Amino acid sequence: MKSLNKILTGIVGIALSFLAAAVLIKLQGNSPIDAYRALFNYGLASWFSLSSTLNNATPLILTGMSAAIAFSSNVVNLGEPGQLIVGALTAALLGYYLPIPGVLGIFVILIISGIIGGLYGGLAGVLKKYYKMDEFITTLMLNFIADYLTLYLATYPFLDEKSYVPATHMIKREFFLPTINGINISFFIAIFMVFVSFFVVTYLKKGYEWRMMGHNYDFSKIGGCKNEENLIWVMFYTGFLSGLAGALLILGGTQHRFIKGIGANYGWDGVMLAIVGGNGVIETSVFAVFFGFLKAGGIGMEFEVFIPSEFTMVLQAIIVLLVVSTRSTISYYSDKIKASLKAKRVVKSSD
Amino acid sequence: MRDSFSSATPILLAALGGTFTYYANVFNIAMEGMMLIGAFFGVLGSYLFQSWAMGMLFAVISGAVVALIFSAFALSLKTDEFLTGIGINMLALGGTTYLLRNIFDVKGAFISPRIESLPTWDIPILNQIPILSQILNNHPFIVYVSILLALLLEVIIFHTKFGLRLRATGEDPETTRSLGINPNKMKFTSILLSGILSSMGGTYLSLGYVTLFSENMSNGRGWISLAIIILVKGRPLGILLMSLLFGFFESVTFTLQNFNIPPQITSMLPYLITLVVLFLYSSNKSKEEK
Repeated sequence: MKSLNKILTGIVGIALSFLAAAVLIKLQGNSPIDAYRALFNYGLASWFSLSSTLNNATPLILTGMSAAIAFSSNVVNLGEPGQLIVGALTAALLGYYLPIPGVLGIFVILIISGIIGGLYGGLAGVLKKYYKMDEFITTLMLNFIADYLTLYLATYPFLDEKSYVPATHMIKREFFLPTINGINISFFIAIFMVFVSFFVVTYLKKGYEWRMMGHNYDFSKIGGCKNEENLIWVMFYTGFLSGLAGALLILGGTQHRFIKGIGANYGWDGVMLAIVGGNGVIETSVFAVFFGFLKAGGIGMEFEVFIPSEFTMVLQAIIVLLVVSTRSTISYYSDKIKASLKAKRVVKSSD
Repeated sequence: MRDSFSSATPILLAALGGTFTYYANVFNIAMEGMMLIGAFFGVLGSYLFQSWAMGMLFAVISGAVVALIFSAFALSLKTDEFLTGIGINMLALGGTTYLLRNIFDVKGAFISPRIESLPTWDIPILNQIPILSQILNNHPFIVYVSILLALLLEVIIFHTKFGLRLRATGEDPETTRSLGINPNKMKFTSILLSGILSSMGGTYLSLGYVTLFSENMSNGRGWISLAIIILVKGRPLGILLMSLLFGFFESVTFTLQNFNIPPQITSMLPYLITLVVLFLYSSNKSKEEK
């Protein structure tokens, strides 16, 4: 019921945002109908567009889930961009230097990159536990540090001299993740992680403790959960997911190397997705696919109607604001109406 | 030293704007976006009319409009402030890049001789003193305005009726309501002021520091401002000092690049400093508690 509610308000919000965006497109002198037709054609209409939607959604599913699990445990992990990029660089380096062949190698790369991302996230957790440093600020600052650090590593020690922009060497061909009918294997890995996360959060004792921590911090402490330790675990696990997203970008993407600007916005989109999905693992993934559709379709709008692809970013922001505000407005005013109805009943019965 | 003041100014302005929202208990993480929008519209206004004043006006109006949007969602529609802020930041980043492509037809950065930068001030008495004159004189005028503003804010927030009401709203909105003050109105005013100041900080970035607009040119300065506010618990004079500290390290960044240290490493400095300051601050506090 609750998740149905989330999806319904989501649809209302999305419809409203498409209307708002239509006005913007019209103001720019383009036809909204043509624009949306292009969006649909490139995002859903054919098997090719559908598969590119799903491929686009892959990193979003993971970063969205990462943010959602953190938020629902009352941990503010805004470090997804940093964790993702650290994981991506790790995968790019391992992909070039790792001597283990084939599928086993892929497995090792994914696990190690995830763990590096997790450690990067866990660092913020450790700083919080031992030094009481607000994870809101630390994760943010760690993002910028990761950004410059990886760029430094790709520009100096690990630079591929043949490339024109700062980039690492291309990974070995045997580590490229194959596609099945156009859908990259990485999408299925992401979906697999959705199930794993759902299981962890719903059925494992640790996951229960995380949720309790998010629900009522003091209560879970009295109940015997080690909140501060759990915070580090949440940070590690959500960092792992983001790091994995970065690794899949390298192994399953199109570049197969670490390039300046890779993974731009995926981390922040994840944070927004978690918000739109109301911090549910499944709901967030559904919206991730929708954002993947916008990304794939946005290219269509650029090709056919000459609307710059940055417009999808604007559209995404409008959607986030309107979906969340629709939900909060509805719940706020329905609570108010309920309360006033109740008050009337009480007044009547006392007459 | 001279550069310290330049680098500190945008952070200082945004942070001062943020103090209003800090005391009104509005969680304002939209400063980053407000700065970026201010930077863009400052350039746009300056370009269209070839006048820095119009640039400033454009920036202030755009900051006010963003504040209106923020308030509409956060106050009227009861959207979570945190979410609204993130949405606004995304809108700013996507919107300015989109407009950059749509209006000027460029990607990356926009430079034009038609953009007029902010005028600098030659202060009469100061230009007589040899060393101070080199450090402090002939900055764009916003530098001086923002330093004066920091002092002024200390007075406004702690010694005026408005400041008292603002802090009361932050402490306990229901009690202030019973005293006949509309807490939503106070919150709205604080958001509006922070929007205007943050966008002015952004204008300084695009018209004072340099004379161009580039994508995402605020580059985390709004976040650093927020971190500073939280660190000094909103005290305007503390903000002034911390901003200067950050400005100092940012200018050290440029100096270090002359010594063959890769720019990526030096660019990390401001963010590392934030962490170090936070670390020192937190470990001090936990010692006190023991």
